[in-house]
Amino acid sequence: MENKFRWLSGIVVLTIITGTSMTHAYEVGEVRDGGTISGQVTFLGSPPEAVHFNVDKNPEICGQERSLMKVDVRNGFLTGAVVVLEGVEKGKPFLPQAWTGTAPGEGDFQHRGGNSLGLRVNTKGCNFGPFTGVVAADQPIQFGNQDSIKHILHTFVAKGRRGSVLRTIHNRDIHPDHEMHLTVSSGKLQDSRMVRLACNRHDFMENWLYVVKHPYFAITDEEGQFVIDNIPQGHYTLRAWHPLLGLQEQEVQVAPGMAMGKNFGFSE
Amino acid sequence: MDTGNVEWKTGIRNICFGVLVCGVFLGVGAKTVEGALLEGLLDGFEETLGESAEAKGERLIIGNFYQAERPDSHGPIGVMGDHTHNKGEFMFSYRYMRMFMDKNRDGTDNVSDNEVLQDFVVTPTEMTTQMHMFGAMYGLNDTVTLMAMFPYVMKSMEHKNRAGVKFKTNASGIGDIKLASLWRLYAFEMPSIGAHRFHLQTGMSLPSGDIKPRDNTPLGNNSLLPYPMRLGSGTVDMLPGLTYTGVKHDVSWGFQAKGRIPLGYNQQGYQEGKRYDLNSWGAYRWADWISTSARFNWKQWFNIKREDGQLPTTIGPANTPIVPTAETDLRGGKRLDLLGGINILFPDFKGLENHLNVEAGAPIYQDLDGPQLKQSYSFWVGWQIIL
Repeated sequence: MENKFRWLSGIVVLTIITGTSMTHAYEVGEVRDGGTISGQVTFLGSPPEAVHFNVDKNPEICGQERSLMKVDVRNGFLTGAVVVLEGVEKGKPFLPQAWTGTAPGEGDFQHRGGNSLGLRVNTKGCNFGPFTGVVAADQPIQFGNQDSIKHILHTFVAKGRRGSVLRTIHNRDIHPDHEMHLTVSSGKLQDSRMVRLACNRHDFMENWLYVVKHPYFAITDEEGQFVIDNIPQGHYTLRAWHPLLGLQEQEVQVAPGMAMGKNFGFSE
Repeated sequence: MDTGNVEWKTGIRNICFGVLVCGVFLGVGAKTVEGALLEGLLDGFEETLGESAEAKGERLIIGNFYQAERPDSHGPIGVMGDHTHNKGEFMFSYRYMRMFMDKNRDGTDNVSDNEVLQDFVVTPTEMTTQMHMFGAMYGLNDTVTLMAMFPYVMKSMEHKNRAGVKFKTNASGIGDIKLASLWRLYAFEMPSIGAHRFHLQTGMSLPSGDIKPRDNTPLGNNSLLPYPMRLGSGTVDMLPGLTYTGVKHDVSWGFQAKGRIPLGYNQQGYQEGKRYDLNSWGAYRWADWISTSARFNWKQWFNIKREDGQLPTTIGPANTPIVPTAETDLRGGKRLDLLGGINILFPDFKGLENHLNVEAGAPIYQDLDGPQLKQSYSFWVGWQIIL
């Protein structure tokens, strides 16, 4: 009797675990007659000025002076806002993509694409990559250091509307020409979707990643534009996020073959 | 022959026990947790502090751990286990310590050699202890930093007997090897309140130091030397500890409580007294590469339990006590030292951080179960390489 109870408990627990993981997993599949959402993200007011740094450590690699444009606004359009369609469980595969950081420094975020995001962070010229990007939970991120100096990679999960509470996820040395695989575990993230990258040695190296579960995301270009295509029909939440400006949401109903325009507006 | 066998077996048993207990500590550390032990248990505290940070336009960082790139990222060189390391990080260190003791004291009063010689045949007059300590630390994961210390100890003691004859005894060899795990408890940082870090130490001292050192004395050649000349405790000792460190701008500080608690009795039949150690220090960073520190170190140590049956304590038909250092009830005491130090951080070379640290100080208070030699000064110099 006791053995039967144990077996039963085991099956129940296994079912719960399997069920839970299945609920959260994104499945790549065929999308017929998918919809498209496009739009622009604007910024009203005067954006904060770029932060300037006099480089004390490794200026020969990092440059004598650095600036960090945290809120990049051009002609009223916000660059680097992450737009994500929340709630898609099955759809198109991840796309191979790459985003390069602003000069000086040529660090970039590369996505291998396929069934997973496949993020690779190439650190070069004391630059991890663009100020904003995306990451997937529980998937290995490949960090590479192409500089001839050590960087100390410090990743945090951020909480609060503007990430005012940061909890360390990793704090690791990346030696010159070395690579390492790190994972942002969902256990560490809990309910947060914001991850901050920083280098303990160079305080101008700061980047923010939004946690995505599927490929239905976009990062706004220099004109604040975004396009998310091949969306299966359904009801979703469209989010626009910027680490310093916060999060905005809109409910959207996507019908087969439908092209929809949606804009977001942030302000000071 | 039988006694030798028993001693040998006792020694092996002690070492096995120590390794086993350490193994359990380390194994648990390696398997169960990733992150500070109290992380996730202080949500209310974090929420309050987070709101305060938001109101001030600051960020609250939880678990912002070790950063080597400050001269004061390590405590004064005389403090062990003052910091933890990030996962995968190694630190190798070498320390040289010199401690000099002279003149006897009973309680808080100095006692002259002649006064000691009224009760004993021989009095110690001064003692020098030198130690070369090789250490290693390794960040096993985000919770546990492993630490090992291998000391080589050199002791010499000057004596004078009632006839005015002076003689010196020496002992040197490997001291007690120490293995420990440092467990990150919690760490948080906010610009307006600085960074605050807490960690716990669990550790073991293994009985590798010689507790039967011998040298020639007026009593005879190859005589067994008394307790202060021994290179180890002869027992597996627990090394618990708790450390708090803080940093704000150019100022850093720390507090550490540690103990050494012997388990059982050694092969010679005695047990060293328990020892407690409290450290409190503050440091100021004058430049990116140099900081200076001041440290208060409170030590309390207790008398030996039971005794070494092979160590003669009296001489002659009147059973005159030979020397205070052979008396188990004249070993305890307490002392407050004040030490000053300099920490220098060298420019990194191929990603290696090099710290050169020096510290020296003297007691400002000593209360000894005497007559017992009182400490005159101690000096430390150490080199630490982080990779």
